Amino acid sequence: MNPTAPLLLETRNLHFRFGSRPILHEVSLQVEAGSIYGFLGPNGAGKSTTMRLLLGLLRPASGSVHLFGHDLGRHRVALLNRVGALIENPSLYDHLTGRENVEATRRLRGVPAHRTAEVLALVGLTDNAHRPAREYSLGMRQRLGLAIALLSDPDLLLLDEPTNGLDPNGIMEMRELLQRLRQEHGKTILVSSHLIHEIEKVATHVGVIQQGRLVFQGSLPDLQRLQTGRGRLVLETQDADTCRNLLPGLLAGATVAGPGTLRLPWLSQEHTAEVAAALVAAGQPLYGLRLEQPSLEDTFLHLTEEAAR
Amino acid sequence: MNPAYPLPGPLTQLRHTLAADTLKLKRTAALWLALGGGALPVLLNFLIFYFKGRYLVKAGDNPWLQYVGMSWQTASVLLLPMFVVLLTGLVVNLENRASGWKHLLAQPVGRGAVFGSKLLLLLALNAVAQVLYVGLLLAAGHLLGAVRPGLGFQSHSIELLPVLRMLGHSYLASLGILGVQYAAALIFRSFVGPLALGIGGIVSALTLLRWEYIHLVPYAAPTVVLRLMKFDPGLTVPAALAPAEWHSLLWFGVSLVAGYVVLLRRNVSQ
Repeated sequence: MNPTAPLLLETRNLHFRFGSRPILHEVSLQVEAGSIYGFLGPNGAGKSTTMRLLLGLLRPASGSVHLFGHDLGRHRVALLNRVGALIENPSLYDHLTGRENVEATRRLRGVPAHRTAEVLALVGLTDNAHRPAREYSLGMRQRLGLAIALLSDPDLLLLDEPTNGLDPNGIMEMRELLQRLRQEHGKTILVSSHLIHEIEKVATHVGVIQQGRLVFQGSLPDLQRLQTGRGRLVLETQDADTCRNLLPGLLAGATVAGPGTLRLPWLSQEHTAEVAAALVAAGQPLYGLRLEQPSLEDTFLHLTEEAAR
Repeated sequence: MNPAYPLPGPLTQLRHTLAADTLKLKRTAALWLALGGGALPVLLNFLIFYFKGRYLVKAGDNPWLQYVGMSWQTASVLLLPMFVVLLTGLVVNLENRASGWKHLLAQPVGRGAVFGSKLLLLLALNAVAQVLYVGLLLAAGHLLGAVRPGLGFQSHSIELLPVLRMLGHSYLASLGILGVQYAAALIFRSFVGPLALGIGGIVSALTLLRWEYIHLVPYAAPTVVLRLMKFDPGLTVPAALAPAEWHSLLWFGVSLVAGYVVLLRRNVSQ
């Protein structure tokens, strides 16, 4: 992580437990200003708990949360003035219209009246603002929740699974909206999800949490590099066993994946060329030679499985 | 180290929270209960006097005394405690139903403002309901004078001061229930829990009405203060507070402290 960029959000050795059951261990998030930080983890890994700690809804057993460089525990109200949040399902009053729901939070935060119409327009709910929230679809509720989070034009947005219940179109719109908020409005966004492919399309940075521990934190390219390190070279030949016996040095790390298939760690282009040349020189047919990249999904699973072990 | 961001003062926070809470009341059962709750005892007694008034009022007597006394009895023994139990439950349940606590407590207002705003709202709705009750009671009395002139409402009157004093006593007597139920609603975070407590409290209070320490029970206070009304010869009500009212205020204060501490310490995990 770039040490010179200012940290807008930081947690230091955050611990949390429910009763005697430990939930989070030494979670130290570092979110740079102007980034979209994808907070990834399977369900139950501690994402929502972390989000609630970031908002002061829960008190940490030890460790601290720092927003904009200040301790949340000491300046909660002042700091939350610059934060907009959507935690799981949005809290909506079903007996109120969409507009009244926004209006309730607008009054609470003392935000100028014109913001209500602005945020409703931003999430595309202007035409439905007069309808009671109970008539809203899941996707509309999620968008209304986002409108409420955006009311105060916050510098930092905390969004917990914001694409929950959205259809593919809605997910795409949400992604575009987050990118626009970052690029055009300079927002810093922490967005949690259990789906890596949702995060990789929008995040600049990624943190992966598993069983309450942060198992990876870095930029998206860092995660991709980690992924490259797990590339596999796949060789298709006549007889995999024979090949391996003929070239014990070069194919030391190879595993036999099928009668004519060998799989070995990808090291470099030169190494690939050397393996190909050696096989041909040994008189073995080379039917196919390809590089298998694990998907980010595989990398994510690998990270979380390693932590679970 | 103090973050150089504008921080609204506690009173501004309270004002903002109250403005939001008032909006949330729109189209709710709580609002209708407060506006209509006072009408029920008035309607019942209006019908009793309309149809059976001639058996209740001796010819030549001031019918207002009997009428006000009976109505207040109807209102205070069961309806007022029940009203306060329902009102507090409904107002707090607005947040439970919307899973609103996690949103509300993540906003830049202190928990004191959240607590104080709902309390002020409850106090105001309780006051509105009781003032409406008295207004309707007097209006219905005059209406009886017009539609049942034989009862004599039009030729007699009732002094306003003792009626207003009694309104004040009933209001103070209802605060103990309000405080206990508000704290219970914050602790239970459901509608049914505090409702069960309230019904249990009311039934116990009615059962124990002849107990020498009944003035200590908040749910009995509205009934106990009925003894302040004297009808000989006209209606008189002392200004001084009865012990039941002091105990009601004590319950109110203690419950508020307990409710506030619970809200302050709450870990919002759902």
